[in-house]
Amino acid sequence: MDPLLKELTKLEKLTAGNGKGPSIAHSLDSLLLSLQAAKKAFLAGNCTEDDLRRLAQVVEAKKKEVDERQKEVYNVLSRFGKALDKKFPSPLPSYSDLFSSAPSVAALERTVALHLLRTGQFDVAETFLQESNVKIPGDLRIQFVELHQILKALRNQDIAPAIVWAKAHQEFLRSRNSPLEFYLHRSQYIRLLLSSHPPNPLPAISYANTNLRPFYKDHEVEFRRLMACVAFLPLSRLQTSIYKDLALPTLHFDLEPLFAKEYCASLGMSRQVPLRVVGDIGGGGALARIEKGRKVLGDRKGEWSQIDELPIEIPLPSENRYHSIFACLVSKEQSTDANPPMMMTCGHVISKDSLQKLNKSGGRSKCPYCPVETAVGSAKRLYL
Amino acid sequence: MGSKLNQEGIMLFEQPFARVPYESYRKIFRTSQKNVERDLGGAQTTANDLVSRGPSGSLSPDEAVKSIDNMIGKVENLKRKLADLHETAGKPNQDVMRERLHHLATVETLQNTSQSEFSRWADIRLDRWLVDWCLRTGKEKSARSIAKEKGIETLVDIDLFSDIRRIEDALSRHSCVEALAWCSENKTALRKIKSTLEFDLRMQEYIELSRVRKTLEAISYSKKYLIAWHDTHIAQIRQLSALLAFPPNTACGPYKRLYDASRWKTLAKSFRLAIYNLNTLSSEPLLHLALYAGLSALKLPACFDHATKNVDCPVCDGESGAGSEPLGLGKLAKEVPYSHHANSTIVCRISGKIMDGDNMPMAFPNGQVYSTEALEDMASRNGGIVTCPRTNESCSFSALTKVFIS
Repeated sequence: MDPLLKELTKLEKLTAGNGKGPSIAHSLDSLLLSLQAAKKAFLAGNCTEDDLRRLAQVVEAKKKEVDERQKEVYNVLSRFGKALDKKFPSPLPSYSDLFSSAPSVAALERTVALHLLRTGQFDVAETFLQESNVKIPGDLRIQFVELHQILKALRNQDIAPAIVWAKAHQEFLRSRNSPLEFYLHRSQYIRLLLSSHPPNPLPAISYANTNLRPFYKDHEVEFRRLMACVAFLPLSRLQTSIYKDLALPTLHFDLEPLFAKEYCASLGMSRQVPLRVVGDIGGGGALARIEKGRKVLGDRKGEWSQIDELPIEIPLPSENRYHSIFACLVSKEQSTDANPPMMMTCGHVISKDSLQKLNKSGGRSKCPYCPVETAVGSAKRLYL
Repeated sequence: MGSKLNQEGIMLFEQPFARVPYESYRKIFRTSQKNVERDLGGAQTTANDLVSRGPSGSLSPDEAVKSIDNMIGKVENLKRKLADLHETAGKPNQDVMRERLHHLATVETLQNTSQSEFSRWADIRLDRWLVDWCLRTGKEKSARSIAKEKGIETLVDIDLFSDIRRIEDALSRHSCVEALAWCSENKTALRKIKSTLEFDLRMQEYIELSRVRKTLEAISYSKKYLIAWHDTHIAQIRQLSALLAFPPNTACGPYKRLYDASRWKTLAKSFRLAIYNLNTLSSEPLLHLALYAGLSALKLPACFDHATKNVDCPVCDGESGAGSEPLGLGKLAKEVPYSHHANSTIVCRISGKIMDGDNMPMAFPNGQVYSTEALEDMASRNGGIVTCPRTNESCSFSALTKVFIS
C-alpha cells in the first residue's frame, strides 16, 4: 500500500495549498487585487492602454499559475492510478446469474438473517427481516437472544444462566461427551478459591462438594487436580506451581466459545460462524486459485461454471477439513459408494476397483505397497 | 492452527474498494478543472477584449469598469466554488481514500489467519461484503444499519449505490431522463468503454413517442438525437424509422419486440453494467464471488449424504435437521462445482482431528474407522472396551486393527 499512500500524501499536500508554487487561492487573491486596482484606476480616469495590456498579462499569468497547480494534481492522480493498476493487476471475474434463481436468493437471505441473529446483531436483523422475504421462526429468534444473554452473563462472571441451560440439555451434552457443565463449575470453583484474602478454601470446597462431585467419574484426573491445588494457595504460589494452568484467565474466558459451540450444536448449527468460514476461504485465496486455473486451462466462456468438479485442488487449513477423503493412490480416484476404500489383510488400503484390477488368477491380489497377498473375499470395506 | 495469509488472494477482492474513491476523486477534479476553464478562461477573454478595444477608443470608462466587475465576479465565484468543492467533496473523499488504504495496509502486515487482528479484519470485510450485497439487492435500510452499527460508513459505497438506485428506479418508472443525464456526465468514460447505453436510451425514448403515435415528434427526435449515431447504428436507425408505420399492437415480430415492455428491464441491466464498469465494481456482489469460491473449495459428495454429514461443515447445512432439504449455504452449494482432492485426508468422526502418522487410523471389525487418540481415550475410560458411535458395536481395544492409508 506504500506507493499509494505516498501519492495520496502528495495529493493532500497539493490540494491543501502546501505545494511548491503559490496555491490556487493565493493566485486568485493576487489576481483579485490587480483587478480591483485596475477598477480604481478606471474610476479615477487615469488608466492607460499599457495598464490594460498589463492587466491582460496578469490575468494570463495567473491563469497559467492555476493551470500549473491543476496539472500537478492531475499528475499525482494519474500516478496514483498507475500505482492502483500495479497493486491490483487482475479484475474480479464475472459469473453471470450466479445465485440469482429464486430458491438461491431465498437461501442466501436466510443465511444472512441467521448470520445476523447468530452474531447478536438483533437490531440490524430486524431491519433485514423487514426488507427481505425470509421468515425466521420466532422460537429460533428467541433462542439466539437467549444465547447472547447467556454469553453476556458469562462475560460478567455469572455462570447461573449457563448452568440452567446445561442442566436442561444434560442428555444432549452427555451424548457429545461435552465437558461444558463441568467446566462451568470448575470456573466457579476456582473463582471462589481465589476470591478470599487471606485464602479461605472452605466456601470453594463446599461448592465442589455439591457441584463438582457428580463429575468425579468422567473427569477423575482433573477433579483430583482441582482438589489438590488448594494446597498451593495463595494465587502467587499457585501461579508457580504445577497447577499454574488453573490460575490462567483462559479457564474462564474459554467458556464463552465453548458454550456458543454447544448451544449452536443443539440447534444443529456449526461451531464456527459459517458465513465467515466460507467467506474467509473464498476471499483468502480460493477465488484467486480458481481464476488462475481457469486461465491456465483456457476456459471457454461459461464452461467452467457448468462442470461438476474443480479441475484443481484448493488447499484447506486443517480446521476446515470436515470430511474424510480417500483418494486411491493406484487409480488416483476419489472413493465413492460404488468404489469404496478396501483394507487388505496387511492393513493397506486401496479402492475396490484397483483391488479387482490387481486380482491375479486364484482370486488373490498382491498389495502394491508390500509383499502380502490378499484373497479377494477377505479385503474389508472401510467406513471413514 | 491457522494458515499463512494469501495476500494475492485477499487483494483480488479489494480492487473496487480502493478504486471507487479514486474514481470519484477524479470526477471532483474534473469539475474543478471545468470551473477553472470557464471562469478564468472567461476572465481572460474579457481582459483580451479590453485590450483590443482600448486603442480604437471605443471603450467607455463605464463599460471598462463593468467588464472589470464582471471579471472580479468570475474570479471570486471561482475561488468560492473551488474552496467549497474541496471542503465538501475533495477533502472528505481524500479521507475515505486514506482510510481504505490503511484498512488494506493492516492486512498486509499480517502473516497468519490465526492472528486476532486478522479475525477482526475479516469480520469487517464480511460486514463490507454484506453491505455491498444489501445495496445491490435493494436492501438499503439494512445496508445503512450494518454500516452504522459497525462504524464502517467510510468503507462502503452507500452514496454511489443510492445514486444507482435512483436512476434504476426512474428507469423502472419508464423515464430515461435521469439515466441520460448520467450518460452526459460520463460521456468520455462511456465512449472509452464503447458503451452504447446512450443510444439505447435515446432509442427507447423514440419508441415511446411512436407508441403514443406522436409521429412528427418522433421524426424530429430522430433527427436531433438518433442520426448522430449513423456510423455505427444505421441498421437500427432504419428499423426505427420503419417502426412509425407499425402501431404498438402490431403482430410483426421485429417491431413487436421493439414495443415490448421488457426492453426497460434490459435497459436497467445495461445501465447497471455500465455504471459498475465505470466504477470498477464487479458485476456480481462480492459476497457471491467469495461464497462461490469458498463453497466449491469445501463441497464434497459427503456433504449431501446423511450418513456422513458433519454439523460443523458449512456446506452440510445441518440447520434444517435430518431428512429435509438444505435451506441455506447447502442450497447455494448446489450451484457450484465439487472440490478436487488428489490426496487422502482422514478426519476422525469422534474427535474431528485429521489422522496422520502420529495419530493413526484404526478400524473396528465392522470396518468403521476412527483415530487412535480418540479410541485410546475411550478405552481408558471404559476399561479397555471401545464402542463405535455410528453402529454401537463394542469390542475390546485389542480387537481393533491398524489401517495404513499411505
